[in-house]
Amino acid sequence: MPRHSHAHSNGHAYSPSQNTFSISPHRFQPRTRPALRWRRQLIVKIAAIAFFAGVVLLLIFPSFRDLLLPTLGLGFILTDDPTLSTVRHYDLNNYLGTARGWERGERILFCVPLRDAEAHLPMFFAHMRNFTYPHHLIDLAFLVSDSKDQTLPKLKEYLTDLQNDPDDRMPFGDISLIEKDFGQKVKQDVENRHGFAAQAPRRKTMAQARNWLLSASLRPHHSWVYWRDADVETAPPTILEDLMRHNKDVIVPNVWRPLPDWLGGEQPYDLNSWQESETALALADTLDEDAVIVEGYAEYATWRPHLAYLRDPYGDPDVEMEIDGVGGVSILAKARVFRSGVHFPAFSFEKHAETEGFGKMAKRMHFSVVGLPHYTIWHLYEPSADDLKHMERMEEERKMKEAAEKAEKEKAAKLANNFENQNEQWQKDKEAVAAAAKEQETKKDKILVGGEAGPHAHAGEGEAAGAKKSHENGIVDTAGNEVKKE
Amino acid sequence: MAPRAFRRTNPITLLLGFVIFLCFVIFLFSPSHPTTSPVLSKSATSVKSKIGRGQITHYQLNNVTTTADPEGNRERVLLLTPLARFYPEYWNNLLKLSYPHELIELGFIVPKTREGNAALAKLEAAVKKVQHGPKKNRFHGVTIMRQDFDTPTPQNEKDRHALAAQKLRRATMARARNSLLFTTIGTETSWVLWLDSDIVETPPTLIQDLARHDKAVIVPNCYQRYQNNGKPEIRPYDFNSWHDSPRALEMASKMGKDDVIFEGYKEMATYRALMAYERVDGGDPHSETPLEGVGGTALMVKAEVHRDGAMFPPFAFYNLIETEGFAKMARRLGYQPYGLPNYLVYHYNE
Repeated sequence: MPRHSHAHSNGHAYSPSQNTFSISPHRFQPRTRPALRWRRQLIVKIAAIAFFAGVVLLLIFPSFRDLLLPTLGLGFILTDDPTLSTVRHYDLNNYLGTARGWERGERILFCVPLRDAEAHLPMFFAHMRNFTYPHHLIDLAFLVSDSKDQTLPKLKEYLTDLQNDPDDRMPFGDISLIEKDFGQKVKQDVENRHGFAAQAPRRKTMAQARNWLLSASLRPHHSWVYWRDADVETAPPTILEDLMRHNKDVIVPNVWRPLPDWLGGEQPYDLNSWQESETALALADTLDEDAVIVEGYAEYATWRPHLAYLRDPYGDPDVEMEIDGVGGVSILAKARVFRSGVHFPAFSFEKHAETEGFGKMAKRMHFSVVGLPHYTIWHLYEPSADDLKHMERMEEERKMKEAAEKAEKEKAAKLANNFENQNEQWQKDKEAVAAAAKEQETKKDKILVGGEAGPHAHAGEGEAAGAKKSHENGIVDTAGNEVKKE
Repeated sequence: MAPRAFRRTNPITLLLGFVIFLCFVIFLFSPSHPTTSPVLSKSATSVKSKIGRGQITHYQLNNVTTTADPEGNRERVLLLTPLARFYPEYWNNLLKLSYPHELIELGFIVPKTREGNAALAKLEAAVKKVQHGPKKNRFHGVTIMRQDFDTPTPQNEKDRHALAAQKLRRATMARARNSLLFTTIGTETSWVLWLDSDIVETPPTLIQDLARHDKAVIVPNCYQRYQNNGKPEIRPYDFNSWHDSPRALEMASKMGKDDVIFEGYKEMATYRALMAYERVDGGDPHSETPLEGVGGTALMVKAEVHRDGAMFPPFAFYNLIETEGFAKMARRLGYQPYGLPNYLVYHYNE
């Protein structure tokens, strides 16, 4: 057999040169089974066990499927299942919203309506990064409408950076950028924006934008909806948790804005959060169906208690106040409020539109609407045209003043240079003055003695005056007595 | 089996032990997901949020059209049904719709009652069958929701129409419709078709026929088939589509803010002209009539009407509620509802 020509029967390698001495005996040693065969069997067994274990693991942990299958090239098993991608089941009872949503993994829909807001984006994204609510639980929805600047491309850039941040806690959940133009009827600069006549149509368009944003992005698995304007300058990073903790259906903080010192340092900004008043209700009855009451204008004196004016900088930030109209700068609402149909009326609803109408409608459906008077966030200060003029004037004045001061200084310097140095004379004078002062000192000592007596004298005078007075009284008395006696 | 294969020092035994140990460690330290409810774990969204970072998606809502030719423009239709009971006839009728199914999204909301549970089970079975079936019958997507508020009275025919129970019943219905609408209307939706779960017969071209009119809100006439002495006949069913009357407006002006006018009750004679009675035998099915109130049994709405905020008020809105209130709200937003008196859909006969 050829086998024996290559190796010994006991498995020793056959070496052609049999020079070396071998101690092992060349005799037949039987084996129960060839090594290769039992090894192969074991390998098959192990593979079977591993396969079985894998299947069991997949059964126990469905999440492994998502991790494991694509890496093994079996991703088609996931995508081919049509029910997984097209049929979705939700029990809305799981998405009602609770006070400690971050612990229960409740998702927030974060809505931001934008128009020509390019300049505010860096500030806005600084805020986004700082939110302490788990970012992956926040879905972002932006509506960019009628923008003439670079809002959308800039926004995309910032969002891509944010989603690719090396820090795993940074990226947010799903992000929708929605582009929709409504045809802006009113220009959006500060002066126009806050003019009285522009308010009603402007707010109706704003309401429309908000409704489009919400209806396109709200999903059944959202428990909360947060509305935030891009031009908020300062806000606590914990604002979502802070507002959520109150467990109200709709809740807003107080919104102020910082001002330059010459305007008083700070000012209430959002006047749309208010409590209804009898006067306003009576006023509403006199207006026609399409009229919209707007706050903060002399044309409609409503005498409503405003959230903004009730702020105490040292007040308890957890104090709540029932309100009827809400401002839109920062609203946290339970998603079920929007699911029930409450929206931002783009028509006159009970004589109000947009966020104020939203508050009214929420109240109408018996939801709780609450404001926090002492929990303040700060809106960006954009100087109005008047302010700008004023600032220009102040700047001019300041420059003039500076110029005048400079001229004065130069004049003084010139004077000093032009005339002789008078120091020597001054030195002499100083000595003379010192000598005179010493003399004065000795004199003063004498005066001091007199001074010590002074108070006494003064006190005496007082006493004397008192005595005199009592004496006068006495006279009256005696006179009275005399009269009585008579 | 050779005993030496399982000797303790065997490297293969060690390997096996190590694998088991590894499994144990993974079991101990694998993150648990208490946040995902058993219901949601089926959905694709939760899977996505668990694995990677959220996607940035850019939607051009300027390009979403609603035209008279929805099929030609590949317009997405959202078909919404508040499901109280599941009728196989309803489902079969739905499957017969000739509009391309890949352009139809379905949305259902089911109340949290025993009846709802039964309906849900039947619906899920039906949906599964279709979505696993031939590709051309599959719908683009199906969303099934459980209601998060209570449905007040049992919905049997007699109770359902008692005047006293109407306001609460209609308010609940309105909330159900709104919950369904605002969570399912998406960035691609062009049309919303409301079809009640008890509409058992419609023309298969329903969507195309209603869209053809290119109206913001359009409603066909809802009738019911019945046996009259063994003779099959039809009779009007839905009285919520009407033209306003001076009498009804006068009634409303005298009512309190929270009172609601209902149609079809002797106690409340409104003298409104009802579309249900405007049908002419052999009349043109495409003749239109402007309406002030609409019924919701079958109702086609352009998505932008809902997006602008027109919803089903669960409170008295101009003394109107639910679909009638919706018509009023649409009109306040500048959209005129229309009805098709001669175009019929049929309601289930209990």
